[in-house]
This record gives sequence, structure tokens and C-alpha cells, in this order.
Amino acid sequence: MTKTVLIGLDGATFTVLGPLLDGSAEEGVVMPFLASMVADGFSGTLKSTAHPLTPPAWTTVATGRTPGAHGVYDFVRFEDLGHDVYFTLYDSRDIRVETFWQMVSRNDRSVVSLNFHMMAPPPHVNGALVPGFVSWKHLRRNSYPSDLFDRIAQVPGFDPKELSWDFEREGQIGEPTPDEELYSWVEAHLPRDRQWATLGQMLLEQDDPDLFALMLDGTDKIQHQAWHVMDPALWDPAAASDETKAVRALVIRYFRELDGYIRDLHAAAGPEAHVIIISDHGFTGSSAVVRINRYLHELGHLVWRETDGSEAAKRRDLANFANLDWAQSRAFCPTPSSNGIVIRRQSEACPGGVPEAEYEAFRDQLAADLLALPDPETGAPAIQAVLRREEAFPGPAMEDAPDLTVVLADHGFVSVRNRAPTIEHRPVPTGTHHPDGVFVMTGPGVMKRRGMELQIVDTTAIMAHSLGLEIPKEFEGKVPAKLYDPDWRAENPVRVAREAAPETATGAVARTEDDPSDEQKEEMLAQLRLLGYIED
Amino acid sequence: MLEIVATETKLVSTIECFVADWGLATEITRETALVDDLEFDSIDVIQLIVAIETAFSRRNLGFQELLMVDGRYVEDLTVGQISDFLEARILGA
Repeated sequence: MTKTVLIGLDGATFTVLGPLLDGSAEEGVVMPFLASMVADGFSGTLKSTAHPLTPPAWTTVATGRTPGAHGVYDFVRFEDLGHDVYFTLYDSRDIRVETFWQMVSRNDRSVVSLNFHMMAPPPHVNGALVPGFVSWKHLRRNSYPSDLFDRIAQVPGFDPKELSWDFEREGQIGEPTPDEELYSWVEAHLPRDRQWATLGQMLLEQDDPDLFALMLDGTDKIQHQAWHVMDPALWDPAAASDETKAVRALVIRYFRELDGYIRDLHAAAGPEAHVIIISDHGFTGSSAVVRINRYLHELGHLVWRETDGSEAAKRRDLANFANLDWAQSRAFCPTPSSNGIVIRRQSEACPGGVPEAEYEAFRDQLAADLLALPDPETGAPAIQAVLRREEAFPGPAMEDAPDLTVVLADHGFVSVRNRAPTIEHRPVPTGTHHPDGVFVMTGPGVMKRRGMELQIVDTTAIMAHSLGLEIPKEFEGKVPAKLYDPDWRAENPVRVAREAAPETATGAVARTEDDPSDEQKEEMLAQLRLLGYIED
Repeated sequence: MLEIVATETKLVSTIECFVADWGLATEITRETALVDDLEFDSIDVIQLIVAIETAFSRRNLGFQELLMVDGRYVEDLTVGQISDFLEARILGA
């Protein structure tokens, strides 16, 4: 019998959900089932990771550890070779600790894990795992066990192209999209969550796993591009065009369908299951475009790579990876999703880097310069905070974190492109990530309580406890004291292991056995060049 | 000689599994080109390298020497080129 159900709603925020739950939206109550869960259960704000981004945040849920321990900071990771910097994608081999799915399996519980990022190549689990962020072409090889794909292909209506990540489509996120084009873009995302929900329903009913975990990410994708029709502070039906109203109606349809998926999964799990609904981060609107590498260039820390005007060079300039003269650049932001500033240390391979003795002073001055960047339109600082990595990402994987992480005034993501001006404003705000996500939980012993604040890393401890497991000593979260009624908690005490579990991480094992050599780094760089990520 | 045949057979088998769901009618031979014949895109090349490394239980094979020619990056690769490269790297190691 399933004990614990985790439904992840990527980027879900009470800013949007609130009116859809309480009926203050012009469409009335759009999500009656989720509203009943909030009314009958425990809910509140779920604080995301220090940088509220999907890969580090979901990996925190999947490990019970913060990024400084699990080591995933972004979609893209880079390695500095001195004369060049290569970019590649993070994958499950980069996770430095055991995943919760593996820990559950090790403790003789079964698990179904669907659509979580950084789960390919798939860890071996006692159950079934289909990773997210994988193209349909590679879904079979990355599903576990090896015969799972043939099994799920039998689900009526199964379409791997609808189910999987569309790299081309999702690459449009952040680009301005007229409402007449936005409708079809949003429409393309509805079947995707429908596919995952149908697959999840089948595996939940047929396999009856102890732990069922499913992530649905239509919320994030749609909010990124259609924020202006979803934020109650921005939505004005009287001023909206017919095209804009049509987008709004489609978005509302998406949330109605989403409510149905939650209702059906809840019913399939049964009344004895704990059902936990979380998001990896919240959402808000962003209007400022902050070209952070341009600012670093103005400060004298960064030199752009000269272009030869070729089509290949133009494509490279449009890529979302920093394109620099690496011999002359001392500080840079690698990708827009990172919001991170990397300070290059002086070495034999990187003679132009910052000498070790000057590092602290250099970083302090850079942080001060970043905080001093004014938004010319408002006159206020464009950056509200600059986080040093030891405060944002403490832990054994801290050395892979950016030296500084910037929090823009409106929580937006930075731009790494070489365009002018350094700061400008979008005519229509786009959706961006906010640290405040959502937490809703129902089930045996769960108190009726609203307005609490939890940390995202608490989620994994809550799941472990719900499954009747000891909470590993190394887990960084806790089970909130007010989550359960006192009687139920007394009957089901929270047990924390006295000793840390042995390191059984897929990533840690891979790193030990296959620490990348310079040759391998060059190989990966070459691959990316071949792909056009870097240059032809 | 048997080892060389085994390497190519294993590579072809790996690529056949790799493209099994792609709906292609192409037979995989030494002359098959990844981009022109198998419609590879950027992510597919990264994934294929991982699949080959997994199939051969080897990493650090130095694929950059296959992908780069005279400082330029090749636009396509044939199965035969990959097979020859693997034979040199694995059997020559």
C-alpha cells in the first residue's frame, strides 16, 4: 500500500494558485480539489535553495541535501581549462550523494520516480524511474528498469514525443512571444503533463509503490512565458485583447486539468497515504534585463571573444553560454540561469587569473561594484544581494559553486550576451523564479494549519518519516514539530540515525573511478564544438 | 582480427539500440553518417558518446581527436570512422 505520494509542481506559487483556490479569480474556483487539500491539511511557503533554480532545487528534494553537498548548481556545468572553458550538461553522475530514491530502495521500500531532473543516466532503484529533461529519442535507454519503456508504451495514448523534454521548444523560454504565438506555445504544454499524469496513474495503481513521486512542470513553463496573464497584479481583463484573453482561458484550462491529475492520484493512493505537494521555487514577474557580463566588461574584468562575422560565430554569440576571450577574462557569468559570477584564479593554465593572495580583496570589491550597479530607469540598485559561496552553498561541493551569486532587484535571471545597453526594461514582464514555493500536505495525523514556512530540504526528511524510515544523520532538513497532531506524532516518532550512511552515491562512485582527465575535458569540449554549442 | 570485428559489431549494435525508437529505415553500416543518415542533432552526439563509453566500459577515449581535424570540427561522422577510432584506442591501448 502506498504510504507517501510526492507531487512536484515546478515553479508553483501561491501568488497564482491563491485566486484559483479561493475563487477570487474571475473564473471562480479553478482548482477545487487542491483547495480542499489546503483546507483540510497543512500548507505554507516552501523556501527554495539559495539560488531558486530547477536542477539544484529538485536535486535537493531528491537527496535531502543542499547544493553545497549534492553539487548540482545549474542546467549547464563548465570546466575551466585555462585557455578555454567548456560547457556541458549536468547529469545524475554529477550528484555527489545518494539519491532518496536509492536510499528508499536500500531500505526495502519500493519507489516510482517520474520526471525529476538530473536522473539520467538512471540510478538503479527498487521500482521504476523515468527521468525528466531527456529527449524522446533517449527515453528508452534512460528508463529503469530496462524493460520499463516497453511497459509504459502500452499505456493508452502514450506518446514519447509529447511526454519528453523538447529542447527546441523550451529554449524559447525568456524570449518575447506575442500573444497570438503564445497560445500555441502554451497549448503544446498541456499534453505533456497529461502524458505524465496518465503514466503516473498507471504505475501508482499497478505497482502500488511505497513511495510515488511525480513532477509536473507545465506550471513553470507556462508561467515563464504567460506571466502577464497569470499574475493577479498584472491581469486586467478590461484591457486585454481577444488574443490575450484566449491565452488566459487556455492557462485556466491547464490549471483545471492539473487539479484533476492531483485529485485522481490522491484517490489512487487511498486515504491512508500522505500526499505532499511542493514546488521547487515560486514565481514572480521580471522586467529588467541585466547584461551582467557587459557590466563585468565595463569593470575591466572581461573581454569578449572577437567575432569573424561568420554564421557560426553569430550562432555562438546567440548561445546562452559566455563567449569570451579567455586569456584576458578574470571574472564572468557562465550562463543566464546560474546568476553566478566566477572568478578565475591565477594558475599555469590561466596566467591572467586573479592571484590567490588578491582573491579576497578582488571578490569584496567585485561584490561592492555589483551592488552599486544602478538601474537607470528607477535609479535604484539593479542587484539586491550578492551571495558569497560559503554563505550560499556551504559543504564539500562548494568549490564547484560560483564565487558570487547575484539576486536581481526583481529576482530576474541575468543575460550573458554582448548587447547594449547594460540594463533595459521589457515592455511586458516575463515570469521568473522567486524563492517562495508552495507546500501542501494531507494524510494521517497531518494538522490543519496554514501559513507555515518550511525549507525545501525539509521535504525529504518529511518523506523519510512518512515512509517509517530513520532520517539519515546527514539530511539537512527536519520534520516540522507542528506538522502532525501530538497523538499521531507520539505513535510515529521522528527517528534520526546516529551514524551517517555510507557514501553510495552514483555520482560519487563515478567521480572516484573516472575523475575526468585533461584529455576527457578536451573531448567534451570538442563534442560541444561539434554540436555548435561553442563554435564550428 | 576477431577483436576488430567484435568492436565494430558492438558499435553497430550500440547505435542500432540508440536509434531504435527514431523511426528510421536506415541500415547501420560502416558508411552510415550520423547527421546525414541518422538525423543526429546536438544532444544526440553527447548521448552517443555516453552510450559508447557505457557499452565499452571505457572513458577517456579521447574522442576530441575524432571530432577535430586540423583545428576545425567535423560536420559529420560515419560509423566506420568511429569504429576505426575505437579499434585504435581500445586495441592499441
